[in-house]
Amino acid sequence: MISFRLDGRSVVPPYLQIVQQVRQALRMGVLDVGDKLPTVREVVAATAVNPNTVLKAYRDLEREGLVEPRAGLGTFVVGRPSGPPPGTHSRLARSLAQWVRSAREAGLDDDSIESLLRITLRAAAEEETA
Amino acid sequence: MMASSDPAVIQTRGLSKHYRNVTALSDATVTVPEGRISALIGPNGAGKTTLLRLLAGLARPTGGEVAVLSSRPAQDPAFLADIGFLAQEIPLYRRFTAEDHIGIGAHLNPRWDAGSVRKRLESLGIPLDQKVGTLSGGQRAQLALALTLAKRPRLLLLDEPVAALDPLARRQFLAHLAEAVADGGLTVVLSSHLVADLERTCDHLILLAASRVQLCGDIDTLLAEHQILVGPVKDTTAIERDHTLVHAVRTARQATLMIRRNGPVIDPAFQAADVSLEELVLGYMGQQTTTPAHAHLSMIGEDQ
Amino acid sequence: MTWVVWRQHRNQAYLAAAALAAFAIVLLITGTQMASQYQSALASCTVSHRCSNLANTLTLGSPAVTLLVTLTVVVPCLLGVFWGGPLVAREFETGTTQFAWVQSTTRGRWLTVKVGWALLAAAAWGGAVSVLVTWWSGPENALQHQIFQPSQFDIQGIVPIGYAVFAVALGIATGALLRRTLPAMAITVGVFTLLRLVVGQDFRSHYMTALTRTFSFVHAPPLPAGAWVVAGGMVGPGGQTFSSQTGSGAHLNIEGVPVNPANLPAACRALVFQGPQKLFPCMNARGYHGFITYQPVGRYWVFQGIETGIFVLMAAALLAVTAIVVLRRDA
Repeated sequence: MISFRLDGRSVVPPYLQIVQQVRQALRMGVLDVGDKLPTVREVVAATAVNPNTVLKAYRDLEREGLVEPRAGLGTFVVGRPSGPPPGTHSRLARSLAQWVRSAREAGLDDDSIESLLRITLRAAAEEETA
Repeated sequence: MMASSDPAVIQTRGLSKHYRNVTALSDATVTVPEGRISALIGPNGAGKTTLLRLLAGLARPTGGEVAVLSSRPAQDPAFLADIGFLAQEIPLYRRFTAEDHIGIGAHLNPRWDAGSVRKRLESLGIPLDQKVGTLSGGQRAQLALALTLAKRPRLLLLDEPVAALDPLARRQFLAHLAEAVADGGLTVVLSSHLVADLERTCDHLILLAASRVQLCGDIDTLLAEHQILVGPVKDTTAIERDHTLVHAVRTARQATLMIRRNGPVIDPAFQAADVSLEELVLGYMGQQTTTPAHAHLSMIGEDQ
Repeated sequence: MTWVVWRQHRNQAYLAAAALAAFAIVLLITGTQMASQYQSALASCTVSHRCSNLANTLTLGSPAVTLLVTLTVVVPCLLGVFWGGPLVAREFETGTTQFAWVQSTTRGRWLTVKVGWALLAAAAWGGAVSVLVTWWSGPENALQHQIFQPSQFDIQGIVPIGYAVFAVALGIATGALLRRTLPAMAITVGVFTLLRLVVGQDFRSHYMTALTRTFSFVHAPPLPAGAWVVAGGMVGPGGQTFSSQTGSGAHLNIEGVPVNPANLPAACRALVFQGPQKLFPCMNARGYHGFITYQPVGRYWVFQGIETGIFVLMAAALLAVTAIVVLRRDA
């Protein structure tokens, strides 16, 4: 059974930390298809996190097709996170390098680029959940 | 998740409490939806205890309206059975044992889960037959919370319940609370100074300062609505016109602004950053964050 | 709620029960002894026809127990201070009202049950002590006919119940107003004592219009047995009264009536030291008679009832104040 560790100081919101830890556990084989996730109550008892946070995380995972709630039994793993198709990484890395170059030319330093990236990721995530 | 059509567990409008020459609470309009764990934050003397007492019916307002569980707080057994209140001083009968308190609760409440109290105390290693006055502050707080939950209330009002607890006890206390909420049918309002704990366990915020409500709403929404802008000192009228300026610190060269956004911020001169709960709270109380995330708000709170 | 009240006060109740039991044992033993002592003294004096002076010659019981009985006059005050004062005040002081008033019992029920039991206990204890004292005093009452005197009136009959109920109500009300135990206890002692004195000494004699009897010193009848003589003195031919208050200086006791020699007619003054056979005809001839103002013993129970009623009414008023203060003020 997976146990969650929430970092209070991280900029990543708690529900996203749970989602990421489930994905990571699946990638590393700690969790596999058919395994049961801890109940909301168990997570809450262990981490003192708000129950709605856990519900939100589990819903996100359900939407990604990774888990499935079964009435009366719990939430079970039904899939693994898919990797990107081959070639995607290098293609994306190239266009990213290009963008970084133009950002540098415009005068942005590393911190500005990072902060811009964070905000864009956040906005994109909000758009997806809306 | 609850539907937005559920009536709010707490709804106040223009709520005020004046004493002879002191205003404890002024024009407070607050909404707390069902199933939330709401953090009531503010410096000493801001009106947190007053608000909680008004909600529990222990004090009468001098103005405004207050509805708790859809009715006015009153001396009504049904209403009293649905609420739980824990005062800051942890008022228990010092010469009675925990078991005595369980007996008192059983005789005074229609719904009473004595087993839950005993089980909880056993798991925490708190003796049932020792006089409460001889227990430590943390043990008394745990006992008091267990007793309040044994009533099976629908709304729990807690006044600084973790102030006297060490970090482990605090974590256990909040975990117990969150578990009770996870079981369903419970809404919690707890006041505290410690932002880090609240951030993890709470999903709703009521911010009081100078006896007024500064913020009230879901934490995620409030955080998304606010932003920190750091940039050169320059004319910021455009920003201030388009958005609400909450707090600004200006040195000779640099300006750090906290704003409440009305739409996206388009000003390339400023670096935007997300706001943490602690920054949000301190911003509305007029301070800049200089201390790490686990700072005590009470260190910068106003005097009583 | 009754269970809670019992649990909160059971140690007090045990203590008071033990004290009452001890007191009862002492009184039952000595009382029986005194009763048989009195009966045998009565039997022997009847045989020898010398009963008229029994009141002066017979001493019943021991001084220690008599003192104990006299001291029961403080029982109502003690009940008020220790049962009434802390009842509500202590819960305010320790903050436990913030625990009790957020259980599912309303403030009204909480107060009613607590106060109800406290008053019931006060009446029961005050009544028990009074029953014991009244029974124990039987022989003494028959011998001395003094039940109407304050020292006896206050500790026998039903007034101790009224005092106890009032004292506890006073303690509760003060505690509810001040929300502090020690000041409430202190004020209860002060106010209770004051009211008892005022009612006993100033009001009591006026519950019913006192009777007045004028008599000739020559044929002075005995004082009505057991009566409470409120005032007495001499009345002159013109109707002017000389009570023991008029004029200062030494008073003569003439047939139980205090008389200031300065008020005697001039002609009779010289006869004062020549004895009653010379003095009385002189006074009688000049129209100087004696008078007493008194409450007859037949009115004893009426007076007991009226005084008890006064204290119970005052208690009711205090309870109304308590209810208003507790129910309407912020916790």
